[in-house]
Amino acid sequence: MAKLHTKKLFVRALTKKFGKDFDLSSQKTEYKRLGPEQSARKREFMEYAKKLEGKRGISFYNPYLHCGGVPLGQRQLVPYKLSSTEYIVEGDDLHFVNNPAMQQMWDDIRRTVIVGLDMAHEVLEKRLGKEVTPETINNYLEILNHAMPGAAVVQEHMVETHPGLVEDCNVRVFTGDDDLADEIDPQYLIDINKLFPTDQAEQLKAAIGKTTWQAIHIPTIVVRSCDGGTTSRWSAMQLSMTFIDAYNMCAGEAAVADLAYAAKHAAVLQMSDMLPARRARGPNNPGGLSFGFMADMVQTSRVKPWDPTAVSLNVVAAGTMLYDQIWLGSYMSGGVGFTQYATAAYTNDVLDDFSYYGVDYGMEKYGGFAKAPANLEVVKDLATEVTLYGIEQYESFPTLLEDHFGGSQRASVLAAASGITCAIMTGNSQAGLAGWYLSMLLHKEAWGRLGFFGYDLQDQCGPTNVFSYQSDEGNPLELRGANYPNYAMNVGHQGEYAGISSAAHAGRGDAFACNPLVKVAFANPALVFDWTDIRLCFGKGGAREFRAAGERSLVMPAV
Amino acid sequence: MAYTPQYYPGNTSVGANRRKHMSGNLEKLRDIPEADVVAIMGHRAPGADYPSTHPPLKEMGEPDCPIRQLVEPTPGAAAGDRVRYSQFTDSMYFAPSIPYWRSYWAAINCRGADPGTLSGRQIIEARERDIEAYTKKLMDSEMTDVSRCSMRGCTVHGHSLRLEENGMMFDMLARTEMGADGNVYYVKNQVGIPLDKKINVGKPMSEEELKKRTTIFRYDNISFGGKVGARKFDEALEALHHMWELRTKWGFRPE
Repeated sequence: MAKLHTKKLFVRALTKKFGKDFDLSSQKTEYKRLGPEQSARKREFMEYAKKLEGKRGISFYNPYLHCGGVPLGQRQLVPYKLSSTEYIVEGDDLHFVNNPAMQQMWDDIRRTVIVGLDMAHEVLEKRLGKEVTPETINNYLEILNHAMPGAAVVQEHMVETHPGLVEDCNVRVFTGDDDLADEIDPQYLIDINKLFPTDQAEQLKAAIGKTTWQAIHIPTIVVRSCDGGTTSRWSAMQLSMTFIDAYNMCAGEAAVADLAYAAKHAAVLQMSDMLPARRARGPNNPGGLSFGFMADMVQTSRVKPWDPTAVSLNVVAAGTMLYDQIWLGSYMSGGVGFTQYATAAYTNDVLDDFSYYGVDYGMEKYGGFAKAPANLEVVKDLATEVTLYGIEQYESFPTLLEDHFGGSQRASVLAAASGITCAIMTGNSQAGLAGWYLSMLLHKEAWGRLGFFGYDLQDQCGPTNVFSYQSDEGNPLELRGANYPNYAMNVGHQGEYAGISSAAHAGRGDAFACNPLVKVAFANPALVFDWTDIRLCFGKGGAREFRAAGERSLVMPAV
Repeated sequence: MAYTPQYYPGNTSVGANRRKHMSGNLEKLRDIPEADVVAIMGHRAPGADYPSTHPPLKEMGEPDCPIRQLVEPTPGAAAGDRVRYSQFTDSMYFAPSIPYWRSYWAAINCRGADPGTLSGRQIIEARERDIEAYTKKLMDSEMTDVSRCSMRGCTVHGHSLRLEENGMMFDMLARTEMGADGNVYYVKNQVGIPLDKKINVGKPMSEEELKKRTTIFRYDNISFGGKVGARKFDEALEALHHMWELRTKWGFRPE
């Protein structure tokens, strides 16, 4: 029994980081204080800064300014292994500025809106008496894939965008109506039957019904110049123009306003909600992205439906990168420190090990995914076992403890593994959340420390909001998000909450966690980021193997 | 019958040590001169006047206020001292204290103190002469071991790192060093500015002594929950389960 539960997946990563003959269990070491020169990436930074110094005419990157002359690298600067992959990269490669795959992940979200077609078709048919058939829809989609990247369809003497700069833009449709799907030109269809396992496809089609939706991904370069709030406006303009062309409408007739209204408001699904004025962000910015939507964007659930732990871990990776590194780390705070919080959750197979341990333990005890009763006794059992297991690993492997050198990192990983385990085994995301908070309290009590100041607030009062009925604090986890009360300021939590949301549904075998439209839209094979394997894609980005969209080099002189 | 605070559950040495830290009933192990404590803190030169942010309270003509009548000002507040701090890092390898217990000690035993708790450091802020007195108490007492605890105002990295070969906790700024005589010396103040002279803070505890005095639960000393396949919950863990359950149920208020 103990053998099954102690896979120690992280040992391989630690061996790669510290060397194969290294004693991972020793509590003592020699600190050689080799400085930044020990890291290939820091050396590259120094060389590049030197090269640019004359050109800039002002001083630049110099790690010897750190702490009045004590530079980074007084301890060993170790690389990171992207969990469950073979990619090993420097820590610097996981800062989103240095990682184009991470940037593209966020770009793929904010450049997406989902717009219903049925309302527009009703306007065309009932108000204007036009005929809408599969043929007219295919014609419309051909025009739309010309127009959406930034091309004119009904005006004269218009400027247009260079196709080489906007090639990532595309619009495909999806529907729960198999008969209509059969009639759509395959190049314009997100084929639910082909992309999802049969049982998931049936669930999705039942949820979507006979409605028809457009997954619209505007050019990456547009949202990089503007922001996520632009997406629905850009798309609505091009949709309206396309209707005029495809259905031979008058450009100024009142019905066009109905089509625009549908595209901008009545039939549009933004990827995230607008935030309150004090946060000053429009829709399709990360602060309004619910954990359920985040869970649905990640596509591991359709390629590895048999492994709910892998599903959850990929959602955690996507969520921690977006919420911690980009949202809290940059939009809300600034600086470079937040990367360290996030990487703990998707590197070196640590969260993987703790989570698989928990699920193994739960499977033996309760007999299957989502088979355990969703009650406090079960949560207490699972979260306690996982937390104590994780603590024991940190204590047994001082290099592991050193790897997660901050309490916030350890707290997030221990609590996420506990929450994921509870959610998978009960099929209930609130049970997962309860397990998260119990883990936090256990961790604090065992070691007399937890994370930074913020953990004190959120995690010690957290148990009271798990099952609360109060409207502003009692949402199902899937509907909570980055701006939920108490979650709005705290790194190391939001991505994990998204993972726990997905864990419950992956455990149950659900096709989606919160919204079937989001799940299908992000199955679009033409998206630039690979949403089926988040960690692999981050690894490619770190290894400089990932080609992002939104490039400007086509219209600039070569470097 | 006089009430005796119970503070914390458990019959293990960790439970007993946690109770001691909270109660303030601490063993004094060393006597570091006040001037040395002040130099390591680095806020004022030893012997220099205390900078003040307001005149002494007696000269200020305070308003008629029942709270002011009830609460006697600390010496630092009475004198108008500025607020200063000391911050400590404790190694997870059996340091006597841990951040939450430093905070509990301060909150229970130190008047006018503002403790802040993180994973790798713990800060206490108070009026300058008050924090100097509190810091001396900490450094002299069994809450401190000189190899596994150090005063670090910034760049605190080290609490979770492996130890140096000589048993010292890693410090990027190398504020302390082990002398050839087996004593530990501060060579920089808490923010890493070199001191005019090395300050001897004495010899480290032995591993056995550290394990006896520590307040951290670890599976390789006093365990919180046993090991994989052999779980045995400390009373503190069982008490915590109870609290978590009550907190969770309290939030469930369908009425």
